Amino acid sequence: MSRKAKANPKKPPSPHDMDSAALAERAEAELALSRHKEAIELYKELLKRERRPVWVDGLAACYAGRAHSLAAKGMLKEALVLWRNRQQLCGKPLVEGPYLTWLMQAGERGEAVRLLADPSLPEAARAELETRLAATLLTLPSDTQLPDLPADSALLRHRPAALAALQAYGQGDLAALGVCLQAIPFRSPYRDLKPLLKALALLTTDSAAAEATEATEVIARLPVDGPFERLAAALRCAALPAGRWLTALRDLDENGRQLVLDLKGCPDPLRPLLLELAKLGDQPNPGQFFDLLARHRRALPDGLAANVCRRLLPHASNRLKFHADVLGTLPEVELSHLAALTAEAHGDRGLAMPHWQRMAELLGGDPEKKRQAALIWRRLSVMDLAPLEEAGALYPDDIVCMERSVDLDPDQRDTQLRLIAELRHVGALQQARARLDQALPRFPKDAELLLEAVRVALAGKAFKKAVGLAKRVLELDPINPKVRRLIGQAHFSHARKQIKAKNHPSARKELEAAAEWLRGSEDGATLNLLRALASDDPASADGAIRDAVADLGGALLGGFHLALEAGRLGLDAAVLLARGKVDLTATPAPAAVAALARALEAAREMDTTLRGNALRTALHPLRPALRRAASGRYAEAEQRLICEAWLRRKEKELLRLYADAALKHWPRQPLFVYFKAMAQYADMPYNMPERMRYNLEDAAEAALAQGDRRTFQRIQDLLHPIEPDRFYPEDDYDFVGGLADDDPGAMFEMLLRMGGEEALFSMARQAMGKKMFDALRKELGGNNKEFARALVELMAQQARLDDIQAPAPRKPSDINQRNLFDD
Amino acid sequence: MTDPYRLLGVPATADDETIRLAYLAAIRACPPERDRHRFEQLRAAFEAIADAQARLSHALFDTTAPTPEDVLDALGAVFQPRRPSEQRLRRVLGEKP
Repeated sequence: MSRKAKANPKKPPSPHDMDSAALAERAEAELALSRHKEAIELYKELLKRERRPVWVDGLAACYAGRAHSLAAKGMLKEALVLWRNRQQLCGKPLVEGPYLTWLMQAGERGEAVRLLADPSLPEAARAELETRLAATLLTLPSDTQLPDLPADSALLRHRPAALAALQAYGQGDLAALGVCLQAIPFRSPYRDLKPLLKALALLTTDSAAAEATEATEVIARLPVDGPFERLAAALRCAALPAGRWLTALRDLDENGRQLVLDLKGCPDPLRPLLLELAKLGDQPNPGQFFDLLARHRRALPDGLAANVCRRLLPHASNRLKFHADVLGTLPEVELSHLAALTAEAHGDRGLAMPHWQRMAELLGGDPEKKRQAALIWRRLSVMDLAPLEEAGALYPDDIVCMERSVDLDPDQRDTQLRLIAELRHVGALQQARARLDQALPRFPKDAELLLEAVRVALAGKAFKKAVGLAKRVLELDPINPKVRRLIGQAHFSHARKQIKAKNHPSARKELEAAAEWLRGSEDGATLNLLRALASDDPASADGAIRDAVADLGGALLGGFHLALEAGRLGLDAAVLLARGKVDLTATPAPAAVAALARALEAAREMDTTLRGNALRTALHPLRPALRRAASGRYAEAEQRLICEAWLRRKEKELLRLYADAALKHWPRQPLFVYFKAMAQYADMPYNMPERMRYNLEDAAEAALAQGDRRTFQRIQDLLHPIEPDRFYPEDDYDFVGGLADDDPGAMFEMLLRMGGEEALFSMARQAMGKKMFDALRKELGGNNKEFARALVELMAQQARLDDIQAPAPRKPSDINQRNLFDD
Repeated sequence: MTDPYRLLGVPATADDETIRLAYLAAIRACPPERDRHRFEQLRAAFEAIADAQARLSHALFDTTAPTPEDVLDALGAVFQPRRPSEQRLRRVLGEKP
């Protein structure tokens, strides 16, 4: 068999070889698939054979379809050619469908005018064409011969009124404008010009608000895609709020943009800047925004470019050199500020710190800038804290920063208060008292400060002083419950001492004093318990203890309070529980366990002398009951509360049991995954099995997805020693001058340039410790400049080595578990 | 945060009372039931610059990048709205230069 004889099965037969029926079927199919080009050829072949009306209609449909698809691509001229083919080859009317629209959009106004003069044009098409040509006729030069139209054509008759209206508006003659607009009937081809000129007149009138609102309403009603669309689009843009109109300029042509800028009153020298700004969008790239302002700085009012560029620099720090060249060198304090803001804008607070420090040091020396310096020190002291984190969360270095802040600006009442509370928390009572002595004369009627003074006095066991201060608080705030409880608790402490010393009469006296201050039912129950323990009649005392247990919340909660008192008084908890007939054999109800969790927290808050161990010791007799209660049905909020309490008290076994139970009810709930991991691996994260690590990583992602940033942060902190880079992807921001991130030498160089030698020294001192820093300085010698250069080399070398070597794991004691197990 | 001075329509040198009055006027014009988001913005702006210390903190620690809107606002004083000329209107309508 020859090759020629073998037909290609995929290739369709040529139209010439097909019979008409098959060809018509194929043409219809191509048309249905919108394959217009192919369908046109097939219909043409069919029409060569016979001019059947159905095939003529088919060809017309193909031309129309193809013209539409070309117009959609912006190929209007080509679309018009196909539409004209449709008229010539298929005998379809020319002026129908989208033809006039395309004609005007393609700018073929001459052809449109010629059409208008055609007497065979249908009336409806004529009216539409006249409307579409209205704007064109207004823009013809005065010496242009008008098209040969019938004398009664509305296009000619109303043209003078429309032209006069334009002229009247241009001359600001609003009265004449009104008359001219009146002369344009509502069926006139120029009718759409009327609301446009009215809106323009309202926009440019001197009396503002009401007219502007009316103008906006008129503009909102303007027809879309009418004959005056270009003017309408400009007005719509001008009516947008500030900022949005600037961006919308991009969608106008040059004349439309200039009209908007006229309406806004933009001076000519500023127009190039605004037009470029519009191109950048409403959220421009900071670098491009910076470049634009710097380039046009001379057209802007004095200092504006410098001010905005300065605020852009933290987001476009690689323009720093350009800034220095064009807008002037920044002083050292500004450079430190800038470096700090740059680091913060990129979320790198660690890098920001030395720059803030340097800035605060520089400002602190200037008497007029002390308040700024104080604010910076204050910020440095709380930089790592979550908002509203309570006192007791600061590290010693943070407290030093806060002290510097208060020293520079003692009028910061909140900072004073926080500092005193922090000092009290770390047991620096002498310093706290000294700060109070400074603060109280400044804020003598500040109840919160006085309350803090009461706490400091109580912490120092100065009960009489505390009572005196408490009375001052009550003079200012007679129903302050906090101070009442504080003083009542102080009397309790005294009473406990006397009970411990078997001096029962004195203890009872103290308890009566406490009764004067305390109001709450729980305090009343504690009072009765202590009264029973201070009683000289053991028989009646046992009954009172049993009553107190009931008042304190039953077996579990009452038992906890009894065990706690036993610890405070040096008594045997088992004996006291037996005297109170506390039965811990039953499994406690979930509500009782939740109440115990709350009581643990309250006990720690109220009694600052209470050691963490005292609470754990008090829990000891309750543990078997608590273990049994782990399998109870808890609400999720209760489980969270209880697990938090076990975490704080380092009750790892209970924490694991309750977290396990919670995970059965709420599998993969991030917080409970975290609790479970903390129960098992808080002290030894290196021993954490891979599976647990994966669970934690999944939990961290889930927490983030749920918006639970705190749990995410806690998991991040737990995993940090074993996966330091897991949640800290390498920062890709180009901090300075477009330097490669992986070149630490260049980075330190730039730090030196931006922050100066002192900032570098401060950072190095912090990184390597004062001792090593001083030793290096002694060894390397030289002046500041030489030493800084040597430091840069040394630190860069170290950084490169760190990159090569695996990061050394941190000791468990270094793990940042702030606010966890914090007593 | 958007520039709080611009949001409240007060100059950078405004004192506590001016800022308070501007804030009260702004929230009267835009109460929370009309536009909650705008109201929250106004409140945040007021808190950011309500007193001298807050203004100082804002100046020191705010890292918000300025926007084109801020530039437009700063240019407000040099903008003098004017009536477009007849020629400009005709150009917009399609007249060839």
